[in-house]
Amino acid sequence: MLRLPQFELARPRTVSEAVTLLSEAGPSAMVVAGGTDLLPNMKHELFTPDVLVSLAGIEELRGVREIENGWLAIGAMTSLSAVAEHPLLRRRAPALAQAASIVAGPQLRSMGTIGGNVMLDTRCQWYNQTYFWRQALGYCLKKDGALCHVVAGGKKCVAAASNDTAPALMTLSATLEIEGPEGRRSVPIDDFWVADGIFNKRLEPAEILVEVRLGPTPPGHRGAYGKLRDRGSIDFPLLGVAARLDLDDSGAVADADVVLTALAARPVRVQKTRSLLIGSRPDQTSFDDAIAVVAAAAFVQCHPLANIPGDADYRREMVPVFVGRTLRAAADGSGPVHPI
Amino acid sequence: MRSLSLKVNGDDVEVAAPDHWTLLEVLRYRLGLIGSKQGCDKGDCGACTVLVDGKPWLSCITVAATVEGREITTIEGLMPLHIQAGGVGPDPIQAAFDKCGALQCGFCQPGMMLSARALLDTNPCPTRAEIREALSGNLCRCTGYTQIFEAVELAIAESLGIAPAPRSWEAQRMKPEEAQARAREAAARLRAERQKRGA
Amino acid sequence: MGARDLHGPGAPWGDRPPGDRENRDFRVIGKPLPKVDGLAKATGAAVYADDIALPGMLHAKTLRSPHAHARIRSIDASRALALPGVHAVITGKDMPIPYGVIPWTPDEHALALDKVRFVGDEVAAVAAVDEDTANAAVKLIAVEYEPLKAFYDPFEALAAVEPRIHEDSKGPGNISKHVALSFGDIEGELARADVVVEDDYFFHGTTHTPIEPHCAVAQFSADGLLTVWSATQITHYVQRALARVLELPIARIRVVQPALGGAFGGKSDPFSLEFCVAKLAMITGRPVKMLWTREEVFYAHRGRHPMHMRYKTGAKKDGRITGVDAKILIDGGAYSSFGLVTAYYAGQLLTGPYHFPSYRFDSTRVFTNKPPCGPKRGHGSVQPRFAFEVQLDQVAEKLGLDPIEIRRKNFQGENTHTVNGQRITSNGFLACLDEVERASGWRERRGRLPRGRGLGVAGSMYISGTNYPVYPNPLPQAGIQLALERSGRVTVFTGGNDIGQGSNSVVAYLVAEELGLDVLDVRVVAADTDLCPVDLGAYSSRVTFMVGNATIDACRKLRAQIVQAVAEAWKVEVSRVRLASGRAIDLADASRSIPIAEAFQIAEERFDTLGSTGSYNTPTLGGDYRGGTIGAAPAYSFTAHVAEVSVDLETGRITCEKVWIAHDCGRALNPMLVAGQMEGSAYMGIAEALLEDHDVNRFGLHAGPSLLDYRIPTAVDTPELYALIVESLDPEGPYGAKEAGEGPLHPSIPAISNAVFDAVGIRLKHLPFTPGKVLKALREKEARSPVLSRGGRR
Repeated sequence: MLRLPQFELARPRTVSEAVTLLSEAGPSAMVVAGGTDLLPNMKHELFTPDVLVSLAGIEELRGVREIENGWLAIGAMTSLSAVAEHPLLRRRAPALAQAASIVAGPQLRSMGTIGGNVMLDTRCQWYNQTYFWRQALGYCLKKDGALCHVVAGGKKCVAAASNDTAPALMTLSATLEIEGPEGRRSVPIDDFWVADGIFNKRLEPAEILVEVRLGPTPPGHRGAYGKLRDRGSIDFPLLGVAARLDLDDSGAVADADVVLTALAARPVRVQKTRSLLIGSRPDQTSFDDAIAVVAAAAFVQCHPLANIPGDADYRREMVPVFVGRTLRAAADGSGPVHPI
Repeated sequence: MRSLSLKVNGDDVEVAAPDHWTLLEVLRYRLGLIGSKQGCDKGDCGACTVLVDGKPWLSCITVAATVEGREITTIEGLMPLHIQAGGVGPDPIQAAFDKCGALQCGFCQPGMMLSARALLDTNPCPTRAEIREALSGNLCRCTGYTQIFEAVELAIAESLGIAPAPRSWEAQRMKPEEAQARAREAAARLRAERQKRGA
Repeated sequence: MGARDLHGPGAPWGDRPPGDRENRDFRVIGKPLPKVDGLAKATGAAVYADDIALPGMLHAKTLRSPHAHARIRSIDASRALALPGVHAVITGKDMPIPYGVIPWTPDEHALALDKVRFVGDEVAAVAAVDEDTANAAVKLIAVEYEPLKAFYDPFEALAAVEPRIHEDSKGPGNISKHVALSFGDIEGELARADVVVEDDYFFHGTTHTPIEPHCAVAQFSADGLLTVWSATQITHYVQRALARVLELPIARIRVVQPALGGAFGGKSDPFSLEFCVAKLAMITGRPVKMLWTREEVFYAHRGRHPMHMRYKTGAKKDGRITGVDAKILIDGGAYSSFGLVTAYYAGQLLTGPYHFPSYRFDSTRVFTNKPPCGPKRGHGSVQPRFAFEVQLDQVAEKLGLDPIEIRRKNFQGENTHTVNGQRITSNGFLACLDEVERASGWRERRGRLPRGRGLGVAGSMYISGTNYPVYPNPLPQAGIQLALERSGRVTVFTGGNDIGQGSNSVVAYLVAEELGLDVLDVRVVAADTDLCPVDLGAYSSRVTFMVGNATIDACRKLRAQIVQAVAEAWKVEVSRVRLASGRAIDLADASRSIPIAEAFQIAEERFDTLGSTGSYNTPTLGGDYRGGTIGAAPAYSFTAHVAEVSVDLETGRITCEKVWIAHDCGRALNPMLVAGQMEGSAYMGIAEALLEDHDVNRFGLHAGPSLLDYRIPTAVDTPELYALIVESLDPEGPYGAKEAGEGPLHPSIPAISNAVFDAVGIRLKHLPFTPGKVLKALREKEARSPVLSRGGRR
């Protein structure tokens, strides 16, 4: 079978121990959470760390807790299935719970973690392949090569952000708690991403994602997640849409947000969503018109490339369809939107 | 080389393996527990599924040392654990898979049965939609899944002491009214059971 | 008289016991019994190839070509050999004799000799102490290549004179095989038709994807005996190929098939790894195992051939077909494999269940620089069946006929001959149509479902075994040996390959029925060339029919002896003794019966140690023309499907909701296992229609050699499947049985296309039916008739 490259495993019991291990080992060390993304990538020799620092034994990283000012903290090692099933998250962050509930398949959700999903490597059909395959290709811009096979002559890697939870967290204005050799820092998730497929995160060496924090959502908060994929399980998104609608006491939209993923190197927000939807009421037909305008705006804004498998033109055509359906699902409290 | 202390099928076992060995490799090639299978190399097919603390887990993308101290159950453990719990013979899921023709080539089924076991341990009378969802990380290429669903439903029906809905090929051999009546009856009993359990 | 005609019309299996049709007298046959290996598989005890570990075993890995088409200039393995832990490196020069599963086209080498022909072609193999060392060594082998122009498009390969992918092939150019046959007055019949439909169809590549990857283990004993355990469905052909390539006497080679984790035709060629482990074991003096990665299984392929098909069908106003004319270009990939047969099957297997007054086909298989195609479930005939069944719906649409009616109208009947000279015996196709029509509520529902939802039908025919063994010989196609023991246990030795379809169970059921035993008292030893009589293997849906008949033959010889001995002991007429339910019974005196063990002992005393052999060979069949025996089967199975689909008009996504599968399997020896084959076949076809696509990218690299990117359906993607068993009781099948493992795949794909037409009025003629294609077709239709009309509905 495909083998893992050789490494030494380190099993710290605390975050600070993990950070120290990472600092000492230098760039040849990597963090592994659930391993569902990293280990297949290691079998493909995309990463060959000398030291693998497993966070599995760090108890402080597990679980969802309420912290000050109505905020929730989700430990980075909380499993995706725990996130999907958590009653508080289902109520206060439905888009996140829905996104977590349709990541890959059941086993991967038991094993995979929220932190791991946020930290997911970007994906590309020319990259997520075995060493033999990539060697036969002559490698690519993201790993070991100089050419981009998605964009002829491209100098910037366009591998796709493929984490289902990232857009949901963006609609929820989550912050990431990161610990490193310099101590802890807190980053709004919007500021965490860079549009670079090689590494699309602002993370310093030896830093570890510790917690994902969610602020309070208003009582009229609605959210949903939509996912385009070929199969009803296992697959990464070909397009992911997270939607947020906050309704005021009268039932009118007070705030709205739509974020898309699996198109480009970072999740992208559909601009003007808030201004296009604010004041509209889901119980009135004008809401459908407003959704259609947002969907059309999303279509104009998005130009998916042939980075991940599947027809890029078709993925673009599905942008307005999934934006519309996901916003409607958010309004009716249904979702996730995904074909089975 | 690291010495690992694993809890496998209720036993504490000591085994030496390099750090980069997966749990699947340790089970198969160190402990001789060959019932866990390798189908895709990297977590795409579910053939290597084992239970870790009762949850379905892909052993082919699990570094063995990361599950030290956790309860690992492989397909070899199901029958002995059933017997230890006072049962007779194979686990009811294994028996139902056998009775329903769900084992064609049998290669994906150890993982499939463990996923089914994990489902019934947490949700003793799931709907067919819930069964489909719970097994959706285990690819089977032989059966078209139908006889697998029927097997899980037979295991559920037997545990509740009710008659299962007629199987795909059985219904054709019955009078249509009879087949429908049996399917309705089974569905009603399962619904009642689910309500009783507050699902 | 040769074995082929030994049994003649008086064959023992023709002698069906009274009460046959009613099943009343059967204790085992027709019962939904578990499989003989079911619990072994359920408990993880079954041993598959990779579960074998021998003392001192080395692990082998393959170096593969990164080029789609290149000449090998040199190979330098010195650095690999120098790596500690490496025991041997072999290349093409170590096994220069070519082979091929079809003896006329031996164009493969265990390792490439001078050329590589697709990305993934095998170049060298390493044996080392463990997999990591072997992998490291593979990377140290230096190969110098001279790249050649590569062909990925069959039309381009067909047109090009140079370079030739196989310089030694008959050709011309890159043609692998060309077949052109014509039956009846095709031009005249088409001219006489009231309506002619002519159209293009495309079937893409798909692959088997058994969940078990290929694996082989070899041991070469000090006294020169070679044993190879392999995940194969053709032990006998592997044994022959090993003897040829390794230049060993065939009697010194033992091939064993352990429990097999699925095959579907994907393990019916001899493969590089079998030769490599054998050679490496011979060189190193140690057992050697090679387990392929999933990626390597995709390179091994031998899957469904992509076919570009042009069909022309003529019909009279009442729907009767006058003629069918087909031109097919077959994309063969890099090697011949079964390709010679594929080129014939593409034409030869279409001539039922409908009567064709005239028929012509012209099929050309070309080599391309892609993983080699071969026989996948429904070999060669699934693609033409798709094209024709969609075209038949187009004819019905033109004529305003119900799609089921037009199929009934053209039914060819029982006990007839096809236009191309194939003998049809039992034929339950009309009953299949009746069943799917009834169960799907066709009459009430077709054309009346809401827009976006529809029903479609398709029919098919498939061979139940073939009378063409891949190497011509007059010997039995299936042999069986029985050994009785005085304890009341019978061991049956069969060369048949149980690949999960349950052939070992079928053999055990037949022995139990024939000798009056409990199935648990029958042991099956199978697919071991040292222990079992020859069987040709699990392909062409031959095992139940041929091995089943051989089993009955062996049983009846033995039963005659047992019954005679008991009758003599009881001093009664032989006709009064019956073996059933584990006892020998006096039919005229209910008080007299003895346990079967006692009966065996009486017989052993009377006749000496008890055993018997049985065999089967097809009668002489087929049309009297070159190729007329290819596709000639002792019986044919028939199938009809109705598929119910919904089409999402915004996303173009087709959801197959339900499929009713009616299949004439002659007799269901075990209805549960038959249903499993029917459901599994339908599932596989649906996946080909909607999800799977096996292809290379613009660099000739496999587009996605993993179970993540080659998307086979999960438990939530598979529709509700309803198995409707039709039993036509074939006169020559074992207890009337015919095949069930391949036929039921065929109609699923055209039935979906036809259902989509009912749902939204578009004709899908190019596979796979991706949402993007559906959306495009919906838009084109809208552009043609801006007012949304529901096509296909009148």
